[in-house]
Amino acid sequence: MRKTALSVLAVLSMILAACGTEGADTTTTTTAPAEATTTTPVAETTTTAEEPVDAPESITIGAVVPLTGAFAGGGAQIERGYRYAVEAINDAGGVSVEEFGVSLPLELVVRDDASDPNQTASNMEELGGAGVVAYLGGFATPVVAAGTAIAERSEIPYLAVATSTQALHEQGFRYFFSPFPKSPDMAVSTYEMLNGLIPEGERPLRVGIFQESTDWGEELGPLWAENATANGYEVVLHETYAPGATDFTDIILKAQAADVQALFSLPTPPDGFAIYQQMGELGWKPPFNLVVRAADVPTWNDLGEAGEGVVLSTPWHPGLGFPGTEEVNARHLEEEGRPADPVVGSAYALVEILADAIERAGTLDHEAVRDAIAATDGLSTIIGPITFREDGTAPVPNPLMQRVGGAIELIWPAESATSELVFPAN
Amino acid sequence: MSRLILQSAVSGILVGGMYGLVALGLALAFGVLKVLNVAHGELLMLGGYAAFFAFTVWGVDPIVSIPLVFLGLCLFGVILYFTLFRHVTKLAIGPRIKNSLLLSFGLVLVLQALAVRFFTGDERTISTAYSSEAITIGWLRVPVVRLAGLVVAVVAAFLLEWVLTRTRFGLALRATSEDWTRAALTGVNVGWVYLTAFAISAGLAAVAGSLIGLGYSVSPNIGLGWTLKALIVVVLAGLGSMRGIILAGVFLGLTESLAAVWLGGEYREIAALVLFLVVLSVRPQGFFGRAHA
Amino acid sequence: MPKKWLSFVSGSAVLALALGIGLGSDNQHLLTIAIQTMLLAALASSWNILGGFAGQISLGHAVFFGLGAQITRELWLDGLPLAVSVAAALLVTAVFAAVVGVPMLRFRDIYFTIGTLALGVAIFLTVGNVRPRLSSLTVEALREYDFSGPYFMTLGVLVVTVAVATWLKNSKVGLGMMAVRDDEAAAGSTGINPLSHKMVAFVVSAGLAAMAGASYAYFTASYYPSFPFSVVWTFEAILVAFVGGMGTITGPLIGSVFFVVGRDALPSSIEEFQVVVFGLLFILVVLLLPGGLLEGAQRFIRRVSKQDTRSTSNEETTKSKGKELV
Repeated sequence: MRKTALSVLAVLSMILAACGTEGADTTTTTTAPAEATTTTPVAETTTTAEEPVDAPESITIGAVVPLTGAFAGGGAQIERGYRYAVEAINDAGGVSVEEFGVSLPLELVVRDDASDPNQTASNMEELGGAGVVAYLGGFATPVVAAGTAIAERSEIPYLAVATSTQALHEQGFRYFFSPFPKSPDMAVSTYEMLNGLIPEGERPLRVGIFQESTDWGEELGPLWAENATANGYEVVLHETYAPGATDFTDIILKAQAADVQALFSLPTPPDGFAIYQQMGELGWKPPFNLVVRAADVPTWNDLGEAGEGVVLSTPWHPGLGFPGTEEVNARHLEEEGRPADPVVGSAYALVEILADAIERAGTLDHEAVRDAIAATDGLSTIIGPITFREDGTAPVPNPLMQRVGGAIELIWPAESATSELVFPAN
Repeated sequence: MSRLILQSAVSGILVGGMYGLVALGLALAFGVLKVLNVAHGELLMLGGYAAFFAFTVWGVDPIVSIPLVFLGLCLFGVILYFTLFRHVTKLAIGPRIKNSLLLSFGLVLVLQALAVRFFTGDERTISTAYSSEAITIGWLRVPVVRLAGLVVAVVAAFLLEWVLTRTRFGLALRATSEDWTRAALTGVNVGWVYLTAFAISAGLAAVAGSLIGLGYSVSPNIGLGWTLKALIVVVLAGLGSMRGIILAGVFLGLTESLAAVWLGGEYREIAALVLFLVVLSVRPQGFFGRAHA
Repeated sequence: MPKKWLSFVSGSAVLALALGIGLGSDNQHLLTIAIQTMLLAALASSWNILGGFAGQISLGHAVFFGLGAQITRELWLDGLPLAVSVAAALLVTAVFAAVVGVPMLRFRDIYFTIGTLALGVAIFLTVGNVRPRLSSLTVEALREYDFSGPYFMTLGVLVVTVAVATWLKNSKVGLGMMAVRDDEAAAGSTGINPLSHKMVAFVVSAGLAAMAGASYAYFTASYYPSFPFSVVWTFEAILVAFVGGMGTITGPLIGSVFFVVGRDALPSSIEEFQVVVFGLLFILVVLLLPGGLLEGAQRFIRRVSKQDTRSTSNEETTKSKGKELV
């Protein structure tokens, strides 16, 4: 028994080793050429061959996404967004590449980095070596940050969402594009929304900030504080806490003592739920609550009464009604049993942007595609019109949702709102 | 200010009860089998999901489902013992600890990934009608859900203590944890003792998990965090002591809460860990353990 | 002795392969995987000195890895030459280890293990608080990034670590460490000072881990300062050391290849099950090969070369004391 088990183990290991670093790989989602996953073994760097090159079978896009580990929840949304978009585009005929005079299907290769930045790096290197045209990013700053550096070093365009840290865009990287709400915009739109939806005289002018001690917290917390006075608000409490704590009694009580009326926080899950659960237990909740995070719909639904009235900042909401929303929503409803999750839309848009850029570039050359992405001007996507700034960010909607009576309603921007802001929340 | 301190202290004690409950199972596994099961937190996580699904699918209140969750994970513990840990218990104590550490780490990977696959990565929580209820003593609030955690912990500890001191089975358990070879010589079926101890340990983890699902939230990767707390509490109480576990847990919880008040939220866990090291330096056998030979 | 000759030849072959890859390959993925493998092998080997030779199972190893990385990175990115930064990192970490070792090493067995774990987590959290911002190479540095620097540095660190481990293993100090591991009380009664031997192991192990950390800092384009302090690094190092074969020299090397290459090579078409399969493989190795992959390989080789069974059984009784050569 031991002998056979040992030989099984030996064989298994040898198979693994043999599969080697040029992965036998691929979870492809092309509808048409199913087995044609022979990625043209392109030399790693840009091919500048001038002779008429045979068209490849497909346009390979490499996505390294956390499907397991701490970021698995968000990672699943991202993967869904990419997959839906690739299939929609392929169903509509693919992407036309002038250089080859033909329309090619997109081939999405997804790798799980297990929420480990080291694995993000090695997976991206592998995909880069296998000749991907562009990278699509994962979920959350730690893995996306690792990804941006690899992309910059390899000079391959990298599109990502699910990271709001502006600092990533201040390194002068040319290959990183992220059409996603970033801290500076978010801080501004928070006050815009408050002043836009609540008449003067009723506004919750006493602001409290729960800042987590991460780089994003260090960014957004002070930005909220900075923008307060200009908009007529006063920061009466600004507490820092380390993510992952089991108990938030101290900061909640301090906020209560300071008579905070508008509470802003940006908690890493599951802290957000813990904070509101514990507020419920301590019997206090301010009239206005803003929680910035990709709103994990199932979890907030679980929370019940304690989560009532909480305003959630989200990168996208089906209610915005941009082109493509209906189909995505319908598919999501059918496959997941609920309307499309927030990050699904953002991820979907990345593929739209990439496909459009490739068409404009007319080639699969990395540099040309990068330039085309950078030149994106008013492209209509599921998250709205996209025009990139120099630093790789783009003005995007920063919708806000509110939990009201068990449903999640869109309350901002006002033109797309499905419901009025319920204020005060308690 | 005094309100802040007192309320924080209360919260700390309640959280500490939870730490104690989580640690009980781990202490049992380590005390009797001398295995270090770092997948303890994953068993906790599974218990949490079990309670969650019992609640959302069948509407069973998480407190009511405790016995079911306990039995369910006991069964799972039996399976784990037979397939995996049994082989490790054949080794001498040094290699046993090391191999069980390694083995259970592999188990952590497997269980976490399976959980993501079947439950998705989203955090889930159980909200009942009484989730926000609290017993109020003046302005002091004692949340009912937290209190339940402490009560269950104390009850479990007493039950365990009773079993260990007043039953023949408990005697066998203690004999085995002292010296398994001698216990075997006196007729104790060590294999059965190990099996039941491990199963109970898994069941206790699951009960903690369901209370965590009620009072906090569950997601596939909560395991290691709780395992760490449990390890600290087990050592703090002193190896071989069950009675002291809940108290050690409360001590840890209280330390964290008071540290948060006095040093700021960022230093909550750090201060508690440092204090743990200080206590260990001063009293290496933990609060209630026997002094090292 | 044929065994030593075999290990010398295989060691040279591996070194030649590593050099070949470093000098000849342009494949960034291969280079990345190779660097990660060597890094983990070095970290596992350094842990092995404390855990495998001296028998003290530390769960706080990442502290030294992290310190080495952080000090190197900060000084180097501030403009100091790399060599100076690494030297500073090594010195500071060694001193820190000596200071921390005094109280820590008084703990025995599981108390030491959990104590080092607590220390490791406390420091991880603290670094996360005081250095929350990403540490990233500049655009210029990325443009000019050349794998050969980090590659050969990591290889160098690995060679040094293996050399130190080999020297230790055959030295009197090392012998003393192993005596302490096997039976601390008995060792004490034969005139060996257990504490000083443990301390030497602790500091040497920490210093080598710091060097590995320095390589990590030099290699990695972008990371959070707290990441190298994460307990995951410790776990991976221990896993690799166990799976490869504790108390041996080549064990960590084999284990690292298994871990890094195996994880990377798993066909991703099975997605989440990739992790499950990996976990199962681990469990299998633990159950079937308690002496690690090295033991499995040795047994296989022995079976193939038809050694006589008596020497095989001798080997096995002494194996549990980790006294095998290689």
